Amino acid sequence: MCLNHNELAQNPSHFEDSEEANQAPAHRDIAWNDYKDLIKGMRFFDPHIHMVSRTTDDYQAMNQAGIVALIEPAFWVGQPRTGLSTFKDYYSSLVGWERFRSSQFGIKHYCTMGLNSREANNEPLAEQVMEILPLYIYKEGVVGVGEIGFDDQTPAEEKYYRLQLELAKEAKLPVQIHTPHRDKKKGTERSMAIALEHGIDPSWVIVDHNNEETVKSVLDQGFYAAFTIYPFTKMGNERMVKVVEQYGPERIMINSAADWGISDPLAIPKTAALMKMRGIPDETIRLVTYQNAIDAFGQSGQIDVTDFESGYAVDQTEKFHGNSILRGGQQPAPVKDFLVIN
Amino acid sequence: MSDIIKQKIWDIIASNTSAAEAGWLQQKVALAPGAVAPIELMTAFVAASRFLSKKIITTSEAEKAALNLEIPGFSVDGWSLVRLGRVWLLTQLDPSDKEEYVKNIETLFDTAEMNELVALYSALPLLSYPDQWLFRATDAVRSNMGFVFDAIALHNPYPEKHFSELAWNQLVLKTIFNDKPIHLIEGLENRTNEKLAVTLSDFAHERWAAGRSVPAQVWRLTGKYLNSALLADMQHLFDSDQEDDRKAAALACGDASLPAANYLLAKYTDLEKSVKSGALTWADLEH
Ligand SMILES: [Zn+2]
Repeated sequence: MCLNHNELAQNPSHFEDSEEANQAPAHRDIAWNDYKDLIKGMRFFDPHIHMVSRTTDDYQAMNQAGIVALIEPAFWVGQPRTGLSTFKDYYSSLVGWERFRSSQFGIKHYCTMGLNSREANNEPLAEQVMEILPLYIYKEGVVGVGEIGFDDQTPAEEKYYRLQLELAKEAKLPVQIHTPHRDKKKGTERSMAIALEHGIDPSWVIVDHNNEETVKSVLDQGFYAAFTIYPFTKMGNERMVKVVEQYGPERIMINSAADWGISDPLAIPKTAALMKMRGIPDETIRLVTYQNAIDAFGQSGQIDVTDFESGYAVDQTEKFHGNSILRGGQQPAPVKDFLVIN
Repeated sequence: MSDIIKQKIWDIIASNTSAAEAGWLQQKVALAPGAVAPIELMTAFVAASRFLSKKIITTSEAEKAALNLEIPGFSVDGWSLVRLGRVWLLTQLDPSDKEEYVKNIETLFDTAEMNELVALYSALPLLSYPDQWLFRATDAVRSNMGFVFDAIALHNPYPEKHFSELAWNQLVLKTIFNDKPIHLIEGLENRTNEKLAVTLSDFAHERWAAGRSVPAQVWRLTGKYLNSALLADMQHLFDSDQEDDRKAAALACGDASLPAANYLLAKYTDLEKSVKSGALTWADLEH
């Protein structure tokens, strides 16, 4: 990456800033050879990752590491959008090309649809997006309204957060909440209070990007608590292991939230390996890296585990709009190699 | 859009749905026609896959005949209930304000995923302001999404009625190119033309040069337009070791008024006899 430290702070992925101190040991970097035996036979579900910003190599590595399904939340692409069309194209790509691309690497792709908090602040555009959003949230494989909530905690953010909570209620879809980095504790509490005010069952709400400061309240109030493992900020995998040791597996899930910034699409399998090293029981690992996400987002009625639980059949010769993922002269990879962890 | 066709589609839906599914659809259009906010219908169009079964519907001969009587060539055979439900919901959009109506349909096209596109193209023969959808329809012919292409090309009476000759020929050639059966194109016989016949000859030469074959029944598009170049193709077919090719050459020459074609056919006595007696027809080559 060629961003210098300042640029990173001004324009961070996932609205991240770099204020957070690195308390050691927060994160442990693990290489494939260190952990592949530890996760052998495990399968993972990443409930928050932005594949539109990721490469083919990532898909291959994820498949090889046992990730069988993922959820791609509608998100901020990093620079302001100039009109409704780019929203339409982006949303369409989540249920179209990206879903297809993922299938070509043996990974079942779902998504959540929403207007994210940062973009809620451009009100004229936000109004137009809200008009077409109903046409996306009911599409097949859309497992929730997300990621929505607060960034700067402005009145506009609150307005569109509330409107989208109502949409989710109407559509009977789970809600995936992005919690702000700055003033996280207050933002998280406010997000939850507003969801409850709208009469939404907390077990239908996944509160994302938690940390040690927010997790207790989220769980106590009956919400799902999701944790984003970012190598340097947010939540390290060492810290994550401690959270699971302290709170157990109920309603806790882990994601990578990998996007166009410094992030790791293998955060889940690596954290699973670390949990294994630390002696956390297999069933606990399975719940926080696979099952809880399926239980939470499966309330949408859009997840059929038979689609991926025994591997996902791949045919790399398939095409989407006439395009295949194969480039000049490439041969499709044999299907069987995608279904086993070597 | 006639109310009769809406009713006839509804009759088919009613005999293929559970009470809950029919109830959901009716609830979406519960108010008097035109009184439902378009966004409600449009959202229902998208949400149909969450509330209706994907099973393939069955239709009686009487129902098929009734549909065909209203809109010749229009057929719902092989459709899923979701597809039929979506098409029916589109027929409920109030067309009285043209600008609004066109904008709503365009929005559905813009935001559609593949199964929704299939429903939209299937519905073209039923939509108001048919000329408005020409760009979309010809665009679908360029689509490489198989189901989307099928929805516009096969069993759909819209192209025959509204496509220009150029667009029509593209559709037929693309169908051949995709190895799909051209006899499923509505209006195939009515819209044969000389340009298409000539282009087909070029296409066949390319295929032959690549060591590939051309489906025999495509030569049904050429009979009336046989010229010396095409006649050479007929000779090529008569010389083929594929029986279907020889039959196709005989049938095409039989369709021709060109004397040279009749002489050529006369050289193959058995085939000539089958063609002239009507024992052999193009239907025999429809695979
Ligand atoms: Zn995200």
